[in-house]
Amino acid sequence: MIWRFIPYKRLNAFENMATDEALFRENQLRGAKPILRFYSWSPPSISLGYFQETSKEVDIEECRRCHIDIVRRPTGGKAVLHEHDLTYAVIAKDNNPLFPPDILGTYRVISGCIADALSELGIKTEMSVDGRTSGQDSLKAACFSSPSQYELLVNKRKICGSAQVRSRGVFLQHGSILLDFDPVKNCALLLPQHGNRGRQIENLRKSVTSIYEHIGTEFSVDKICHVLQRSFEKKLGIELVEGGLTMEEEILMIQLMKDKYTSDKWNIEGKGTLYGS
Amino acid sequence: MKVFPDDLLYNREHTWVRVEGELATIGITDYAQENLGEILAVELPEVDSYVERDEPFGTIESAKGVFELISPVSGEVISVNEDILDDIGIINSDPHDTGWMIVIGMKDLEELDDLLDSREYHDFVLKEAEGG
Repeated sequence: MIWRFIPYKRLNAFENMATDEALFRENQLRGAKPILRFYSWSPPSISLGYFQETSKEVDIEECRRCHIDIVRRPTGGKAVLHEHDLTYAVIAKDNNPLFPPDILGTYRVISGCIADALSELGIKTEMSVDGRTSGQDSLKAACFSSPSQYELLVNKRKICGSAQVRSRGVFLQHGSILLDFDPVKNCALLLPQHGNRGRQIENLRKSVTSIYEHIGTEFSVDKICHVLQRSFEKKLGIELVEGGLTMEEEILMIQLMKDKYTSDKWNIEGKGTLYGS
Repeated sequence: MKVFPDDLLYNREHTWVRVEGELATIGITDYAQENLGEILAVELPEVDSYVERDEPFGTIESAKGVFELISPVSGEVISVNEDILDDIGIINSDPHDTGWMIVIGMKDLEELDDLLDSREYHDFVLKEAEGG
């Protein structure tokens, strides 16, 4: 089976989310091949889950001061600071035979591909089976503080967090693989209603890890992408053929950027949200 | 496998319709709520807005992700179930009845002809659950 592979790019938050949604929508309309995409975020950005209330989850003023963009994802889940991470996106039909029919099965399969890649890089991971409950309510806004089922942990510390949206027979799953992690910055930006800041930082430090913490900066992002690419091919038995966006996807991406992902109404207020409505 | 009420019609996106004259009450099926798991949030359209068949009319979030709600019929939104917004758990506990989501004044009754009856929907989800 051939998938389209969209190689690693550094884009801003709005381009990244508009691209993911354009690929998702066009796949619904035209039934294209499954897609794997890698990207990172420049400038650093915070992405929020679809239903999150921005002012409760993020210190907006502090983000502005630090030149951190804020964008709302089309997917669920919690807030993520994208500064030293690598993000993947998979778009495929939800009846694709490579993925089990249950929703969690998709997380399991994709996590398996990432786990194999991390293993090749020298990092042994395990999947959270029941979703670890941290018991740290004050941290629950931050994605990496609480793994869901089939997310990847290293010694019980989360290294990759994912989120998903499904509609009309297609799913988009994207997720952040941490290259490095700064608990102090995460706390400062993601936890505006803070209690004991020192304890929160310590709790985050204990519950989150990163690639660099285990193997240093030995491998470039390009190398890590290459290992991930091979791992997806091997694990899923697919061939990844490099490609870009189609003209229709490009047009929709630009439209979504303009109408949705650069608008405060979507990113901050979270209203007027339904595309096509 | 679950039993789906005979007095409802269904689409392949797991929403149901209860038809009374030109009014269509819409919700998600028991199969859908079970597959989603605990529902955490829902976004529904405003009264007087217009929804199109096979287009999203709302969005739902569970611990597993975000899911768009696809309308089985077109028309104007007559009412929205405010009880859901107060107690979202009723979508999980009573999806075919008190967990209804919106009522639509239908534009074209012929759209109902394309929907599935309970037996057809049962067969559809059986196939889907088997990965068919």
